Amino acid sequence: MPDTLHVKVFRFNPESDVAPKFDHFEVPVFKNMAILDVAMHIQNYMDRSLSFRFSCRIGMCGSCAVYVNGRARLACRTQVSALKTQDITIMPLPNFPIIRDLVVDMEPFFEKWKKIKPYYLPKKEITDPVVMRPDSKEREFIDDMLDCISCGCCYSACSMVATNKEYLGPAALNRAYTLIADKRDAIRVERLNVVDQTYGVWRCHTQFNCAEVCPKDIVPTRSIQNLKRRCVLKKFGLFK
Amino acid sequence: MHAWTWFLQRISAVILVIALGLHIGFLHFSNAGQPLHYSDIMARLNTPVLISLDILLLIFGLYHALYGLYAVFLDFDSGKKERVVVLGLLVAMGLGFVGFGIFGLFYTTHSL
Repeated sequence: MPDTLHVKVFRFNPESDVAPKFDHFEVPVFKNMAILDVAMHIQNYMDRSLSFRFSCRIGMCGSCAVYVNGRARLACRTQVSALKTQDITIMPLPNFPIIRDLVVDMEPFFEKWKKIKPYYLPKKEITDPVVMRPDSKEREFIDDMLDCISCGCCYSACSMVATNKEYLGPAALNRAYTLIADKRDAIRVERLNVVDQTYGVWRCHTQFNCAEVCPKDIVPTRSIQNLKRRCVLKKFGLFK
Repeated sequence: MHAWTWFLQRISAVILVIALGLHIGFLHFSNAGQPLHYSDIMARLNTPVLISLDILLLIFGLYHALYGLYAVFLDFDSGKKERVVVLGLLVAMGLGFVGFGIFGLFYTTHSL
């Protein structure tokens, strides 16, 4: 393990800077150091103006996602040693407007979430708790996909989002699937109509970039493919 | 429309795998090791089953390819008007090639 890291950090303040630039820092290494520790060290001891976002520090909140050495990652869960290099480049997540330095505006991302109505609405006829066996096929699949922490890594890695800002993106579609696959949900058909659009599920080219970068090992592409199948079933009148 | 075209693309993919396998099988393995004669080829091209197979390949191969082209076109973030125009052109191109292909197939087998 080297003693020092050569860290290149993206800097940009849209209110005062004409163009973005990179600042270079030599950061001392300590055991079990994460990328978030690197950013905190820079902010505490080298440049107090560095802006970045974090909260839980344990990979739960998804707020510290940044682009490290060419890949979207959670800063708190990315060990420096895992990068296997002394040279580290930290940038804000691609496909998001930059607020300042490493902080991006998540508004476009959550606007897409709003479109699919990301909350569960129970059917009116359901009064008693519904029995859904935890080991049922349906439950097992939904459970895996529910681990999403809406960090935006998938959204930033998706080349379809990069080419069209209207595309709902992997995270929102994955969330839509967890609700559409839930038979207790009252607005499954309405949700399916929202995703059954040119810039809904049909925009996905199954490149699996989202799955590649997901810090929770979710495969949104699987959810999207399942949504496409349900769209076809709907056309045949088999989705109710 | 997307659901149907996507579904048909999946169907065409399965048909292509089967039809292409049979096509290659008939072409390269039916007379394996034997010298290839013109009369054998003509006889093969006059077999209704093989003609049907070639027409299947033509229709589904073209559909699969042109749908792929359309999907690539969508990546260019075009407007609805452009999408309709390109879709119309691709459909016309597809129908034209299918007609030309079927004509060629029957013209070749019946005029030689």
